[in-house]
Amino acid sequence: GADVTMKCGSMDWDAAVTWTANGTDIDESHLNGSYLILKNVDLSQSGQYSCYEGSSWHLKYQTYLRVGTPPKEPVLKCRSNNYPKGFYCSWHLPTPTYIPNTFNISVIHGTKDMVCEKDAVPKNRCHIRYLQLFSTVKYKVTLTVTNALGKNFTTLTFDEFAIVKPDPPESVVAKPVPNNPRRLEVSWQNPSSWPDPESFPLKFFLRYRPLILDQWQHVELSDGTSHTITDAYAGKEYIIQVAAKDNDIGTWSDWSVAVHATPWTEEPKHLTTEAQITETTSA
Amino acid sequence: GDSWGIFTFLCAALCNLPALPALNCSEELGAGQSIQQTYDLTRYLEHQLRTLAGTYLNYLGPPFNEPDFNPPRLARAERVPSATVDLDLWRGLTDNARLAANYRAYSRLLCYLRVLDGQVGTAELRHRLAHFCASLQGLVLSIGGVMSSLGYPLPAGPAGPPAGPPGAPAAPNDFLKKMDDFWLLKELQTWLWRSAKDFNRLKKKVPPAVVTLRLEARGF
Repeated sequence: GADVTMKCGSMDWDAAVTWTANGTDIDESHLNGSYLILKNVDLSQSGQYSCYEGSSWHLKYQTYLRVGTPPKEPVLKCRSNNYPKGFYCSWHLPTPTYIPNTFNISVIHGTKDMVCEKDAVPKNRCHIRYLQLFSTVKYKVTLTVTNALGKNFTTLTFDEFAIVKPDPPESVVAKPVPNNPRRLEVSWQNPSSWPDPESFPLKFFLRYRPLILDQWQHVELSDGTSHTITDAYAGKEYIIQVAAKDNDIGTWSDWSVAVHATPWTEEPKHLTTEAQITETTSA
Repeated sequence: GDSWGIFTFLCAALCNLPALPALNCSEELGAGQSIQQTYDLTRYLEHQLRTLAGTYLNYLGPPFNEPDFNPPRLARAERVPSATVDLDLWRGLTDNARLAANYRAYSRLLCYLRVLDGQVGTAELRHRLAHFCASLQGLVLSIGGVMSSLGYPLPAGPAGPPAGPPGAPAAPNDFLKKMDDFWLLKELQTWLWRSAKDFNRLKKKVPPAVVTLRLEARGF
């Protein structure tokens, strides 16, 4: 939206020059003497601008124009999926700026400054190790984003307990139970990112429904990593998911990957030859 | 005046917890079971505290009842026992040390709460506080019971807060007094969260069978 004026290096205002943008000649209407005026620039005007002396076609000046925006307030979220080891924070910009941005993150715990170690991958993430557990003092995380056109920031303040959210349970498996047309056996594992399920046990929430219905059924389980569904509709394919939560603190994980299973059904009895033929033709 | 001195006196007077009755082996209190009960009690108290703290902080008024209120910890607040602990240290605590830390903390917190009860304004608050104190006393006794059944001695020392050093800063004004109350509730909340984890750890390590063996070994 801004206006851009480019001077052709050291050339005088009244010199005869030709400007190009990404190799394409620019119309004289954009010139004020030898100055190039771009009004109300938009993103499509990014590119290499070159200025050539009129007759000799000597390159007198070249520059790369980057059209972008100053950063909007960044989106920051912090989460502990590996309690009690620590937590991580990740961030992104709600809209792109189209120019390079640098992010700076600071973490303050009471009066102490803590270092949030940047992750290699993904780049917009850093992690902190807890030095102390069961802290009454809140953590304050400030993320500042800066680029050539401006700066913005956001802050999150939270208690150690508030950001605990495990990853979803892994390896969810659902199997029919032989000779039981209304049962499904579901089992899963603690998320591998949860470091100490012995001292910090997880509880689980299971939801299931037949594909043909919209309403879920729920079961909360405070112990164990398996459950047998006993009220499945015979012969119907089910979709099943599991979520995890620390037994005492924090929030529920996202739902696990969905698994499908159909309860055991009895094999059809042997039919007479005629009936078999009918079966084959109608299959 | 020396309100801190009065505070300490009140606490000493209010905090004569009854001596725990010697465990009768015929009661057959499986430690595993009473650890579970103690755990359940901490969860119950944590829920109760949420309502109590909400009401109390509203009574204190802003900024104490604002969710973003994040004051710096003043030195005076160190009187309240803190649940905060180094991670490796916490992991390495022996069962005895773990239980003792909980016992000591809640004994002192109970004291402070009882003093609060005497000072607080509204009838509703007094009622809630009294109810909470009764439950908290139950927790202290429950922890004591677990310790006794495992053969650990109860932590000695005054159940009340230690007398401050001479010239210890009294709460010179209303605001600082409210800050003390704020931190008391915060520490209480954190302790209840910590205890859930402490008792989880104890649950795994002390199955009922162990206790039976111990009682036999001691010739009961």
